[in-house]
Amino acid sequence: MDLSGRFGARSGDGVPFREAAALESLHIGGGEEFRQMVPPENAGGFAALLELPPTQAVELLHSSSSSASQATTLHSLGTLSFPSNPLLMERASRFSVIATDNQQNGNVSGETTTTSSVPSNEHIKTEPAETETCDQAAVEKQSNRCGKRKELDKKVKSSTKKKNKSSEENEKLPYVHVRARRGQATDSHSLAERARREKINARMKLLQELVPGCDKIQGTALVLDEIINHVQSLQRQVEMLSMRLASVNPRIDFNLDTILASENGSLMDGSFNGATMQLAWPLQVMETEQSYHHRQLQQPPSQQWPFDGLNQPVWGREENQDHGNDHNNLMVGSTSLHPNQVKMEL
Amino acid sequence: MQPTSSMKEEFLKKWQMGLQIYRPLIDNTSVSERRKAIKLSADVAMASLRKGTTCWSRALIQKTATEDNFLVRQMLSGIKAETLINKKLPKVMCHRKIVRRSKMILRRRQSRSAIEEVAAKARKLIKKKTQGLRNVVPGGEFMSNDVLLIQETLDYIVSLQTQVNVMRSIVDAAEAGSER
Repeated sequence: MDLSGRFGARSGDGVPFREAAALESLHIGGGEEFRQMVPPENAGGFAALLELPPTQAVELLHSSSSSASQATTLHSLGTLSFPSNPLLMERASRFSVIATDNQQNGNVSGETTTTSSVPSNEHIKTEPAETETCDQAAVEKQSNRCGKRKELDKKVKSSTKKKNKSSEENEKLPYVHVRARRGQATDSHSLAERARREKINARMKLLQELVPGCDKIQGTALVLDEIINHVQSLQRQVEMLSMRLASVNPRIDFNLDTILASENGSLMDGSFNGATMQLAWPLQVMETEQSYHHRQLQQPPSQQWPFDGLNQPVWGREENQDHGNDHNNLMVGSTSLHPNQVKMEL
Repeated sequence: MQPTSSMKEEFLKKWQMGLQIYRPLIDNTSVSERRKAIKLSADVAMASLRKGTTCWSRALIQKTATEDNFLVRQMLSGIKAETLINKKLPKVMCHRKIVRRSKMILRRRQSRSAIEEVAAKARKLIKKKTQGLRNVVPGGEFMSNDVLLIQETLDYIVSLQTQVNVMRSIVDAAEAGSER
């Protein structure tokens, strides 16, 4: 066939069909499914197309592209710029898959069955017509049918618009699989940029959920403003709280906190036993400890707090705070805070 | 993602471990020094929860190491203390300024259309905001891409929230106790 000769010559010349280039560029590093399909698809897809008469092949190839002018003559094959639309690749891949089974009729029907049933029926209907007219070089008929099919294809594609794979999915795989939407540029740079933008947008959404009051805001700049304000306010809160803690009655001990940790462990489980309450009071100081669960603070009798007075307000506040309860139970200040970092450093 | 109780617990334990280090120092009289000690140990505790996986935690540890090396070493129990303390912070700031200046020079030569100007202004605004965010988040200047920056911010905000919650409850308890 002339067509095969021409294709062979072209591929032999190493003319980079844009489709192939697009295939490579779209899959950075190569994905599992597609890379396996790419070589046979280029070979099989073209082979499948080659078996068809040239006009039909051209029609099939260009049925997904928007330009109608190219879909006519063999000469146009010279200027054949395969649309780098990956949808076409998908179709071509399906061509190759189905071409092995049904070399003449199965291509288009096989391709469209996956998308929607109605157009596929129409395709199947048109196929016998095509095979009948396959020997005809009636360009107008072909272009008409091509136009019809293009409409169908466009409808199909608009209904089954492929989306970019979610950024989360991208992160699971070692390679980034990105699909271009219809009508968008598909060179590797813009694709990578788009993937990056999708990642950023996903994370910005998470941030918006985290920061209170950010959901209603439109626009990245204002959201960023809010985030900055939130972070700054949290940092200021930390400073204030540390100042308050430092200025609190210096008899409150650091050791106290360790008891809080020991109680914390049991209390955080949600089991508010009476045992933990009783633990609080006859407690012993341990100077050198790393075991938090067995630490106890010894209570000088003069400073013993009345349990009951503390208990009720504590339990009352139970619903509001996670930590407040246990801390209030155990709050018995006996010794003082003694940080002095300057001396330590020297 | 909200702070979980296990995170709070861990933070509390580590913070207390840090405070314990200060305890033998009896001669603490100044409130400001106490405050500093509390804050530093809280910061290191918060950063050590992440065990060096995140950029901000490493930067925070290095910042506090400049103020109190001993504390950091003790608190990190030597696993990463040496590597984290001794690692030099990458000097990316200089390069970015140079790049920015060269970009400005290049930009003057380009022709601008109305649409481009608007888009450029929007981009500038967002860049300013991200720069502001980098200033706030510890180690933000060294995060090269925006994705990383936002990820780090997320993690940092969650950790800050745990820190604030725990500290607030302790302070409330302490103040309630001291009132009696």
